[in-house]
Amino acid sequence: MPDWRAEIATRLSSLRLDSTREIEIVEELAQHLEDRYDELISGGATDNDACRDVLMELDDGKLLARGLRGTVRKMPPEPAVPGKGEHNALASLWQDLRYTLRQFQRNPGFALVAILTLALGIGASTAIFSVIDNVLLEPFPYKDAAHILFLRLHGSTQGPDEGRQGYSADELLELARQNQSLESVVGTTDDPVLYKHGAGVEWLYGADMTPGSFEFFGMPALYGRVLQPADYTPGAPPVFVLRYKTWKGRFNGDPNVLNKVFVLNGTARTLVGIMPPRFGWYDADLWIPKTPRPEISTGFAGLPERWFTLARLKPGVSMAQSSEDLTGDFKRMAKLRPQDYPAQFQVFLVQIGHSVTGHLESTLYTVLAAVGLLLLIGCVNVANLMLSRATSREKEFALRAVLGAGRARLVRLLLVESLVLAMAGAALGVLIAWGGLKLMVATMPSDSIPAESVIGLNAQVMVFTLLLAVLTPLIFGLAPALQATRRDLNDPLRDTGRGVIGGFRTARLRNAAVVTEVAVSLTLLIGAGLLMRSFLALRDVNLGLQPDHVFKTMLLLPPDRYKTAEQVSAFFPPVLERVKAIPGVMDAAESSSVPPDNSRDSKVEVSGKSPDNQWHAQVQSVSETYFRVLRIPFEMGRGFTEAEVNDARKVALVNRKFVSTYLSGEDPIGRRVKLVGLETVADSLREPWFEIVGVLGDVANQGAPGYGRGGLQAPIEPQVWVPYTVTGSGEHVLVVRSAQTPLALIDEVQQAVWTIDPGVALMYPDTLDHAISKRLYATPRFALLLMIIFGSIGLILVTVGVYSVLAYTTAQKTHEIGIRMALGAERANVLRLVIVDGLRLVLAGVAVGLALSLLLGRALQAELWRGVKPYDPATLASTVLLLLATGVLACWIPARRAARVDPMVALRYE
Amino acid sequence: MTPEVEWKKVSAELLILSLVEARPRHGYEISKLIEQRSGGAVRFYVASLYPLLYRLEKRGWIQGRWVEKSGQRRRRYYRLTSEGQKILASQRRGWQTFVEAVNRITEAEHA
Repeated sequence: MPDWRAEIATRLSSLRLDSTREIEIVEELAQHLEDRYDELISGGATDNDACRDVLMELDDGKLLARGLRGTVRKMPPEPAVPGKGEHNALASLWQDLRYTLRQFQRNPGFALVAILTLALGIGASTAIFSVIDNVLLEPFPYKDAAHILFLRLHGSTQGPDEGRQGYSADELLELARQNQSLESVVGTTDDPVLYKHGAGVEWLYGADMTPGSFEFFGMPALYGRVLQPADYTPGAPPVFVLRYKTWKGRFNGDPNVLNKVFVLNGTARTLVGIMPPRFGWYDADLWIPKTPRPEISTGFAGLPERWFTLARLKPGVSMAQSSEDLTGDFKRMAKLRPQDYPAQFQVFLVQIGHSVTGHLESTLYTVLAAVGLLLLIGCVNVANLMLSRATSREKEFALRAVLGAGRARLVRLLLVESLVLAMAGAALGVLIAWGGLKLMVATMPSDSIPAESVIGLNAQVMVFTLLLAVLTPLIFGLAPALQATRRDLNDPLRDTGRGVIGGFRTARLRNAAVVTEVAVSLTLLIGAGLLMRSFLALRDVNLGLQPDHVFKTMLLLPPDRYKTAEQVSAFFPPVLERVKAIPGVMDAAESSSVPPDNSRDSKVEVSGKSPDNQWHAQVQSVSETYFRVLRIPFEMGRGFTEAEVNDARKVALVNRKFVSTYLSGEDPIGRRVKLVGLETVADSLREPWFEIVGVLGDVANQGAPGYGRGGLQAPIEPQVWVPYTVTGSGEHVLVVRSAQTPLALIDEVQQAVWTIDPGVALMYPDTLDHAISKRLYATPRFALLLMIIFGSIGLILVTVGVYSVLAYTTAQKTHEIGIRMALGAERANVLRLVIVDGLRLVLAGVAVGLALSLLLGRALQAELWRGVKPYDPATLASTVLLLLATGVLACWIPARRAARVDPMVALRYE
Repeated sequence: MTPEVEWKKVSAELLILSLVEARPRHGYEISKLIEQRSGGAVRFYVASLYPLLYRLEKRGWIQGRWVEKSGQRRRRYYRLTSEGQKILASQRRGWQTFVEAVNRITEAEHA
């Protein structure tokens, strides 16, 4: 008797049926043929005849295959049964891809969680990288921007990023003439301009540029032309070029303004060019040609002219060589004018960009590291999910292996799955980054990024994201793939596949993953906690004044009409009178600056003390009401009287630091102090000796971090206040204390000012609170905000991670729990069993995370406010508690589900 | 489809549906019953019977199930579904109408 099954199978082979269906059909038909054969034999047929008849009936008109073709479901092309050698590599990869997509369709929950997790990680990394790329790596559109340097004259007693960055015309010319190591030297200086507009005047932020500046930057104009050598020749018609943003904002992008004449600060200048959008040097609105003159010249507001100086190194010269060379040049200059230099100094070359981003740089790199860790946590989560899934797919893999798939083939299939997840994650991540960037640009401290940088998703950023999408699957996909394919492939086929929670090795890997992510997340949270403590400590620093309910605005006086002390002194009293008369205004004052900034630093001498070249102080000129408006407390003596200010008497107030530094506690009242700096302003004083009449508390005067100043981290500097009437030079700020919202005063203050002189413009009107906050707290607040956001994302990821692992193992253990409960275990016992299981992992992670934080704490120390220790116990304790609470929550849900298991249902699974 | 093929198809379906109406039967049993009851005039070989069974099953008119009886190999038994019952009733009516019509025609010739 022939093998009926084989006969039937060969006749069905062309149909490529689904294997289980085929087996059934073969069995059913074989039975039929066997019955028929038996019937024929029992009817007296020979074996041969019976066989022949049966086969003939089977082949009857080829009806079988034809009839079945349209009836029985065809098997889908099966990608992972290789070994047939019929497909080339590309085709089988395509099969893997389609198979993967079908898998995800069947199990969308897994794919969704994995993709979202990866998207969070990749999105956050992309966002931070694009900030770093646009702000730190390539912020400037200028020719050879990476090699543009500026000079910082660093006194030996100053903090690491402090030092003078502006140079006199003499110094600039000397450098250009003498220096051997610099290829080209150009300078820029402030030149705010007033121009008539409507009822009053408006101002634009102008910058003067030395000859060769535009050649130095190497950017052509968008319309018209840039400044040329001819514009600098004596007697040349005055010209200027305009910034794109200003052209759009102030002139509605009107092309007819080109070649028009504007009266700027009293000079008629022709607009000869409009620069392309990204040209924003010095964050100026317009650029004016100016040749530095070799004499003591004064710049904006009668203050000594200071040029911000840029240069490129000559080929083959190193930064260190050039620094040494420059220090030598300046030491020679210091011999001629020692009063302009610290006793000990060095000149450093610093890349542009660093001047503004210096303080943000470490923050951004810290956040990049944090985000890298987040991405790692995300990868670990996805690896975990894949491991869980791999365990439940053991049978599938075993079957594939039995059917001839090699290990490499299985690993490849799993890696293709990972890659698809990562690509989807990256696509979604780019969307997240796009939204996140908008948010970040909105909250970023505006002073901390170069005006030229455009923060967005550019080509480099996209390459970075693509790289992540290709690299992350190797991290989260390879381990599960190797793990899933290494086991003895026959085991899963033999057992029932229930009640087995992976192998020992799988469990260990999964546990390690949870411990890792808890540790990483704890480290991040501790970082965020420390930054928060540090920020709170910073906010608690006493500024020495009460900035609430104060309106401040700088006043830009037409330079041609306000040159002397008399002219300025005549302007302010009536203005202050009018402002004080505004309803709701309590008091008003004039000052040369507002804390924490100060426009003038001067060498000082004190009567009865031998002159010391190192002695200097911040000099601020004020009206007698200034201390009342800002509520700065007196410690000794008295304030200025109205008569002293009106008569421009040479009286002075000093701060506590001045007394402790230069008078070592001796009685300061009646002493005289010489403010050497007042000899060099436009409206200069001869013999500027002032009598000290009182002592005030210390007021923040260290400037904002960056721009060569130290901010609140730096020590308070000695300070001297003098009547604003003694010199007409210096900036002029109006400060007003109000009973109501300070900003509501803008229009009325403007009217008051214009009633006295319609040619004066209000610059940067703001509340003092907000101005100080922007100067001192914006950067640390931004850093804190970033850390809190990313710390929270980390916490969410950990919750998901712990939950998914426990939920999975608990589900696998349903059978075991059922037996326990059938044998008398209480619900509480089951609850405890599961929670203890999970918490053991969380605790291990906490231990590792704490150790890690203490190690990394040193790196964070520089970011922290003095007094906040990286191992601050309160922060550590509260962070650990937060993480433990989250851990318990993540364990609680699967534990409760486990405790609700009905033993009968659990056992019936078997 | 030509009328002849249609006629054959419908009659073959009618035969099978009728045979599994009373109780579930397996394929070989169905083919034997057709052969016996037709006195050998109508025969379904394996090659034509099973595709037909599967087609009927796919349409949901009959349902096959593997049944194990003690001391026997397991066999696939087909039973009539409720939808199959409706189809059977309608096909029966159609067939009777058809046969009566044929009878009337042929009788008229003889008369």
